[in-house]
Amino acid sequence: MQHVVSTQSLEKHYGPLRALGGVSLDVERASVFGLLGQNGAGKTTLIKILLGMLAPTSGSAHLLGRPVGSVEARRRVGYLPEDHRLPEYHTGPSLLDVYGGLQGLPRQERRRRAAELLDLLGLAGREKLRIRGYSKGMKQRLGLAQALLHRPSVLFLDEPTDGVDPVGRKQIRDLLLAERARGVTIFINSHLLGEVEQLCDRVAILKKGQLALVGTVPEVVGDKSTWLVGFDGPPPGDQRWQSARLVPSGTAGLWRLTLDSAGGIDRFLDEARGRGLLLRHLERERGTLEEIYLQLADAGGPSS
Amino acid sequence: MNAPADTSVRESSCRPGPLRSFAAILSDAWLAFRDARILWLLLAAIVVLFAVALSASVEPKTGGRRYLDLAARALSADMTGIDLSKDSLADVAGRLDGSLSMITRAEPVPDTAADGPTTTWSVTLSRNVVPVVGSLATADEITSRFGQIPDGRLWTIREIRETTTGLAAAVGNQTWELTVDPGPDLRILWPHRFSLFGDSLELTRPEGAPLGLEVFILQKLLSNGIGGTILLLVSVVVTAAFVPTMIRKGTLELLLVRPLPRWQLIVFTHVAALLFVAALLGLLIVATWLVTGLLTGLWSPGIILALPSLLLFFALLLSVSVFTGVVTRSAVAAMLVTVAYWAVLFVVGLMHLQVVASRIREDTIDKPRPVSVADALRPRPQPTRREQASSARAPFHKTTVARVVEGIYAVLPHTEDLDTMVDRQLMRDFAVGGRLRQLMESPDFTWARGIGLTLAHTAVFLIAACVIFSRRDP
Repeated sequence: MQHVVSTQSLEKHYGPLRALGGVSLDVERASVFGLLGQNGAGKTTLIKILLGMLAPTSGSAHLLGRPVGSVEARRRVGYLPEDHRLPEYHTGPSLLDVYGGLQGLPRQERRRRAAELLDLLGLAGREKLRIRGYSKGMKQRLGLAQALLHRPSVLFLDEPTDGVDPVGRKQIRDLLLAERARGVTIFINSHLLGEVEQLCDRVAILKKGQLALVGTVPEVVGDKSTWLVGFDGPPPGDQRWQSARLVPSGTAGLWRLTLDSAGGIDRFLDEARGRGLLLRHLERERGTLEEIYLQLADAGGPSS
Repeated sequence: MNAPADTSVRESSCRPGPLRSFAAILSDAWLAFRDARILWLLLAAIVVLFAVALSASVEPKTGGRRYLDLAARALSADMTGIDLSKDSLADVAGRLDGSLSMITRAEPVPDTAADGPTTTWSVTLSRNVVPVVGSLATADEITSRFGQIPDGRLWTIREIRETTTGLAAAVGNQTWELTVDPGPDLRILWPHRFSLFGDSLELTRPEGAPLGLEVFILQKLLSNGIGGTILLLVSVVVTAAFVPTMIRKGTLELLLVRPLPRWQLIVFTHVAALLFVAALLGLLIVATWLVTGLLTGLWSPGIILALPSLLLFFALLLSVSVFTGVVTRSAVAAMLVTVAYWAVLFVVGLMHLQVVASRIREDTIDKPRPVSVADALRPRPQPTRREQASSARAPFHKTTVARVVEGIYAVLPHTEDLDTMVDRQLMRDFAVGGRLRQLMESPDFTWARGIGLTLAHTAVFLIAACVIFSRRDP
């Protein structure tokens, strides 16, 4: 299996403070990886180590098969930092031209690519506007454009949709999924759990510098043993069921169903049919990332 | 577990390299530069300054007879090889040839302009030889030496006809009828009046000042002096923001992720800023050269030396600014520290000049003051009471203050040398003499030391900035 990002027992100490305490992580190619965690959990520290901006105290990390920190490892990396500040005297195209040049793109290609990305990110027609006249959302889009400019193999995005309106978010999500389809690996830091759930193939939750949980989204959130059911017409209110327990779910017309034991959902369906009830809604209840995240945040220590 | 390289994603044709990185940083610096409003104000101010200078009128005064007399007097000594900025009148005295020459009649040749720097004169020259010591001169000797002075050639003889009678020759008296053309250096020393705004503001004394001196002062004012100082000051203000803006949080990360070593960000920014200031200085100096040339017709290119001199000085200031910017991340701090450093260089340099001047004064205290033609024509000022009083005290260069100044100056980058060398060249080009010339010609100042030490200090500040920047966590 090819890993684009790979770390082994990565530690970073700032004096007595342990920002990262032994993080081992692998990210596969052409996947979207979401890194979650509270403020100060070590997310940005981890990203900066992977990008070679910080030296780890101990442990090792590789990016695209090369030790992090090497110029070579940074060649095919795109990065959108959190709270980035683009130089305000630039226009969108002039900034992309400078960054493209530093990245080593030939002039023709960076012009073409800049026009393409500005168009894709909804900044076309604003080419003459200085960045100091940009809204927050526009800055965020331009920030994303500079990360994508040189067609990187791996993208590190810190809060990529911060300050962007819902339509823009959808555009950005689609763009990122298209990049993934091209084989790009995407590493996302975000507080927007819903968005992470929609985008990410795998997620990890960092807590106090350690990985509390890693896995695919379904793995992490897991299936619950409860279902939501709805019937054509109200079910007999205080009927006793042999196979399950039924309580109002809080949503009008839907009941939360807890199956008693083995036999599963089929036994319940048979029983319902036997009572002449017509099923209108049946859905397995799942946990949300938010629930897991909040559970972890409440718990005293890492649960891994 | 080591992961194999991911190569299946379509590679774009990225070929990072120092040249491409530098071009990008250059383009970034240009936009930052262009964005600074103060720079455009400066350019406007400089345009106004030059417009004012161009409004000047430079008119020759009369003075042909004085310069002819001077040339005649100079015939008494063979001055070839004498450097009046170094040799004193005592050295000249040893070269007297035992004769005394004077002009007995001088009038402009009809058909040429009246008394001015382009007038051809018809002259009667009389020469008396001291018996035994001197000897009679030939017409060829007169032709080759008349008008030849250490600062150049004032006059050239077009025609010479000896009218000495036999009897006069016997008692050592010779006379010649000459037709004298202005020599190549006459104009530089010719007194001119200088006025601004179409004659409404006269800046010279009634007798005028030598044209060369006027050009020297004008060039010094416009480029190496005030013009250069203002331009460099504004450049310090503008460029002080470059590094702090680059390394502020949120911007730095966008640069550190690029595939280039960190030191290149610092060095390339320094060089890029330097190139723009070089262009500005180039404009300033070429404009100065054009303005003085157009006004006076003197096109001597010595002022071009102000470009490397000012640029090296700015390279040093910029490296201090970059270093401070890296350490403090503050544009204001970078600006203040740089200006303070400049002030220290200026004050210590000025005091060091005083030390050198004091030493020269002591070396030449009993010798007559060296003179140039420009100096000889000016009335000799009487020593003031203060000068008389100060001559009684210990010379400045032997005081403790002077020793401290010399100690500090020794570890500073000797930028004073750069300035002095430009002044020296300009003074030579425009035959400016006097005490200042003597100071400028002092062997205490050399290009080699000025350039070498300034470059060395620049490199130290830059390397320190690179080392700190490369080791620091963003």
